[in-house]
Amino acid sequence: MANEYFTRMGDGQRIYMTKENIMEDLEAGCADASELGKIPELSGDELDKLAEIVMLPDVFVSVAPGMEVPLTQDGGTIRIDADQGNSGTGIPASRMIGCMMHERAFCQDTIELGHIDYSFKPVKPIISHECQAMEILQQNTIVPLFYGAMPNMGLYYTPDGPYPNPADLMRNFKIKEAQESMENSAEHLIRDMVWIMQKMMSSGTDGVNFDTTAAAGDGDFYATLHAAEILRKEFPEMYIEVGMAGESILGMHGEMEYDGKIIAGLWPHEQAPLVAKAGANVFGPVCNTNTSKSFAWNLGRAVTFTKAAVIQSPIPCHVNMGMGVGGVPMLETPPIDAVTRANKAMVEVAGVDGI
Amino acid sequence: MTNEEMFKELSDAVITCKNDVVTAAVEKARSEGIPAPEIIEKGLAAGMNEVGIRFERGKLFLPHVMMAAGAMEAGVALLKADMPADSASKKLGVIVNGTVEGDVHDIGKSIVSTMLQSAGFIVHDIGRDVPLQKFIDKIKETNADMVGMSALMTTTLPAQKDVIEMLKELGMRDNIKVMVGGAPATEAWAEKISADCYAENASEAVIKAKELLL
Repeated sequence: MANEYFTRMGDGQRIYMTKENIMEDLEAGCADASELGKIPELSGDELDKLAEIVMLPDVFVSVAPGMEVPLTQDGGTIRIDADQGNSGTGIPASRMIGCMMHERAFCQDTIELGHIDYSFKPVKPIISHECQAMEILQQNTIVPLFYGAMPNMGLYYTPDGPYPNPADLMRNFKIKEAQESMENSAEHLIRDMVWIMQKMMSSGTDGVNFDTTAAAGDGDFYATLHAAEILRKEFPEMYIEVGMAGESILGMHGEMEYDGKIIAGLWPHEQAPLVAKAGANVFGPVCNTNTSKSFAWNLGRAVTFTKAAVIQSPIPCHVNMGMGVGGVPMLETPPIDAVTRANKAMVEVAGVDGI
Repeated sequence: MTNEEMFKELSDAVITCKNDVVTAAVEKARSEGIPAPEIIEKGLAAGMNEVGIRFERGKLFLPHVMMAAGAMEAGVALLKADMPADSASKKLGVIVNGTVEGDVHDIGKSIVSTMLQSAGFIVHDIGRDVPLQKFIDKIKETNADMVGMSALMTTTLPAQKDVIEMLKELGMRDNIKVMVGGAPATEAWAEKISADCYAENASEAVIKAKELLL
């Protein structure tokens, strides 16, 4: 075991690998991202640096002094109160306490208010409650405080919403009807997101975090970009953050465009310029973790994708780092050795502006 | 034109996702005397495999997958008369697919259903938030060869294990393959609950279903 290093699989399983095997997996993950995204591979020095990070002997690692970056926390207000089933700690605490703990104890640079269901659509019937919560929180914090939720366009399809379920239509070869349903859902989603944020802005929110964007595919991304564009025109000073759900935009519709570009199939480095064009201030790229591959493979891949996004993005990139993304293993409570290594790699090699 | 070149033409025709291109290629292959089963297996099915790969890599999108599947079906229909009676309508297997009770996530599971259907399986998509007994009932009703269960939350993942236990208790486990998937599912989880396979994504679901059922 002397020449082997403790590391993880993408599902969090503890394994030991030799330096040679770690390098091989880093290179293979990097090559996979490069081939998929048609982006440059990492240099030899960068791969060496990643290997060095993977092989560090400590459980908890961090960035070099002077390389600290802003930390943006989504779901911060509910992470304390929510139990393990909701990825939280289960400590009884209000959203306000959760928020203040993240501001004053956990050193987050921006946080958000979100509700437990965390999609925009269900906010409509409780908008007054959310506005009131925002007003109170703004009076008790100084940190930039966003309102955050997922566009989650799936909620607009039957049985949850008014439009026919495109997946059902598609399986019956009703492709045009499926596309029309997605188009109608996207327009409805735009209206809802804009309406909700107009109300939240009137209650003093500093901005919006569109979280897990494009989870329902290209229509979801289309709606978010248009909502961002409308909000930017109406509120020139508001902060708009667009964080993604996955590394590639799922082509559910396949023909939707933004700024003259088909949005299905775009990779992080192609998503970033569109997000900036829509008026966002911050882009949150995502790279998904493959649970059947090693941490090194996933890290090589995630850093390659993210570095390309950072280079192409006209706005700051705050990479998504959590369970199952950014090279972090897919576990309810991701292991801190892998979490801190992935974060260090994103800052020191991918060059992200924030986490 | 060699047979290999003809198979390539058939495969490329499916990738165009166009009915008329596929039917023209099938007619041409027939006229060159290539047996119908080979036209399907080495030409059209190979094309569908490539469509699946391109979908997974973000080069083709869901509507294209369905258009390609439709075009392939049109091509297969032309060959019906040339096929042995028992094989003309033969499907690869019957699969019941759904998202387990308590979990309302639908999209990933639906993509898996679509890709399995496109690959030639008969798929009964029973939706999301499916009561566990409904999996059992549908398996019995359709005499399914495989059941696919999706879960997108750690809180709902154990339901996959519950269905497997129900299958065992009812003496049905030996007659059906079980595939599990969804964000929190892993290969280790599949092994732990004695599922037959875990699929990381829709393309892998098709590959593993073929491995287990063919």
